[in-house]
Amino acid sequence: MSTTFDTTRATSFDAERTEGAGLADTIRNLRTALFLGWRVEANWTDPLLFVIYTVVKPIASLLLLVMMIQIIGAGATGASDDTVRTFVVLGSALWAMLVAGIAGPAWSVLEDRERYRMLKYLYVSPATFLVLLVGRGGARLAAGAMGTLVALVFAVIVLGLRIDLTAVHWPLLGISLVLGIVPILAIGVLLAAICLQTRQESWSYPDAFAGALFLVTGVVFPLAVLPDILEVLGLINPVTWWVAGVRLAVTPNGPSSIGGEGSLWTAVTGSAAPDATTIVIALCVTGALATLAATAIFRSSERRARELGLLDRTTGS
Amino acid sequence: MAVRPANPVFATSRGGTDPRSASDWTGRQVFSNNLRSLVGRAYPRVRGMVREPSWLFFEIALPFLTTAAFVLVYRALGAPEAYVGFVVLGGAMAAFWLNVVWMMAGQLYWEKSQGNLELYFAAPMNLMAILLGMAVGGLVMSSVRAAAVLVISTIVFGVTFHVEQWLLLVAVFCLTLSALYGLGMMLASLFLLWGREAFHMTNLVIEPVYFVSGLNFPVGRLGAIGALAIATIPFAVGLDAMRQLVFAGQPYITGTPSPEVEALILVVMTVVFTVLARWMIRRIERMARARGSLSIRWQ
Repeated sequence: MSTTFDTTRATSFDAERTEGAGLADTIRNLRTALFLGWRVEANWTDPLLFVIYTVVKPIASLLLLVMMIQIIGAGATGASDDTVRTFVVLGSALWAMLVAGIAGPAWSVLEDRERYRMLKYLYVSPATFLVLLVGRGGARLAAGAMGTLVALVFAVIVLGLRIDLTAVHWPLLGISLVLGIVPILAIGVLLAAICLQTRQESWSYPDAFAGALFLVTGVVFPLAVLPDILEVLGLINPVTWWVAGVRLAVTPNGPSSIGGEGSLWTAVTGSAAPDATTIVIALCVTGALATLAATAIFRSSERRARELGLLDRTTGS
Repeated sequence: MAVRPANPVFATSRGGTDPRSASDWTGRQVFSNNLRSLVGRAYPRVRGMVREPSWLFFEIALPFLTTAAFVLVYRALGAPEAYVGFVVLGGAMAAFWLNVVWMMAGQLYWEKSQGNLELYFAAPMNLMAILLGMAVGGLVMSSVRAAAVLVISTIVFGVTFHVEQWLLLVAVFCLTLSALYGLGMMLASLFLLWGREAFHMTNLVIEPVYFVSGLNFPVGRLGAIGALAIATIPFAVGLDAMRQLVFAGQPYITGTPSPEVEALILVVMTVVFTVLARWMIRRIERMARARGSLSIRWQ
């Protein structure tokens, strides 16, 4: 029996189709990755347990810091206990979102490579690898945002945190939150690039990296207490401006994490603290630089991983 | 017909050279086999430290920065210098808790995901040897991290220690580690049973335990919650006992039992957790053989 091939179909191969549909394809890939990420995050248990798991960690972190303030008091800072507590609670609650966002892409690499052994298949799929990772990271970021929200509600109800909703600068809050998502995911992509090169035990790397950022981004204490060199590191970090933007929006009359007595910002600019416009511009500029740098590093790591066969490597210890 | 030479392992066993009687091993054979299993399981962890140097940065340099952040919180609040010491000791001991959670409690589940667990159940060894090997390997790794955080932080922040009972301090430290890793061995079996929840449990128990154990402040300040933590969590009781011994005479550490009593609590915890770990791993092994699904990936 002879087999006939339809040569007309082969010759009519449309090379343009391999290019994909450009932006539309990217958006579809991102949406699919977000949905997949959310399912991976949330479908392992019932919704109530999922919420409990999501919020316990940020609330415990919050309580750890609040207890430190409770024991020592804020007398030496020249501010009231309430002011300091609000400052710390806001920073700590936002941290839950940041940790989730930067862990998302990195854990996605580790999960898909080491546990589910799917990374190589995802990599050769028509979707762009970077878009997949951003989507997975976005899903985790959304879960982290839920933790942030619940931690804030907990702080208001249980810890007596006072937020005057009529005084909140809503446009600044919205802009800061949205603009902050990009550099957070960019840092996550940077860590994913590192995890592509390292072994299975890299699970704790995002937490460790977030711990280091904790020091230089004015999350729970003003940058003014840091040595100048660390203050500079903080000022070029988009996370610093993201936290400062949200903090200024929620407590417009509260202390600034960037300016103030003894700070590099005040010494250089002569102003007590950056205003809303400055914060948004700084967030845009530092965010864009961080995103470009993270993308370049990721591309380089991806190339190396492909050359050395690291995409389907499994490790263990 | 040529007679096949006896297998050297069978030849030295108690029963003789045929497989059935050769499986009746002497106590010495059992011990040396389990010891080899222990060393074999610890080996990749210790060796991996050399092969993957990135951990030096991510698990020593960065955790130091986290500890530094908490120190600066206290400095910004104008806290007494003793609290800086409390944070430094907490930061160093946290290395062991993280290791227990990430590399002990969740480990059997990872092994299952990787397909190694079936091999462990099939191999002629005691599974406690595997758990102990994991603990020894992890202990080496986290000891390096803890020592580095302690030394660097002490130098950078000028922490002064005042130890009066060195012997008790060493005993408490060893007991803390044995109780912690005993708990880790027990959790390894539990997390294996919980399946996919294991990863989330791993992620969940870190910060809450930090809080109830008083990672950055004396646990006595938590009142009833602190007392409950001292009675149940080795990290809490060990950290408090070590703080009392390392910063002897500090007026800020109050409301908790003396180090001697806490050492006894640690002894009890070590025994209880190890016995429970042994009982649970045997049950798990039986379940794995009976059901045939427990050791299969992604179940």
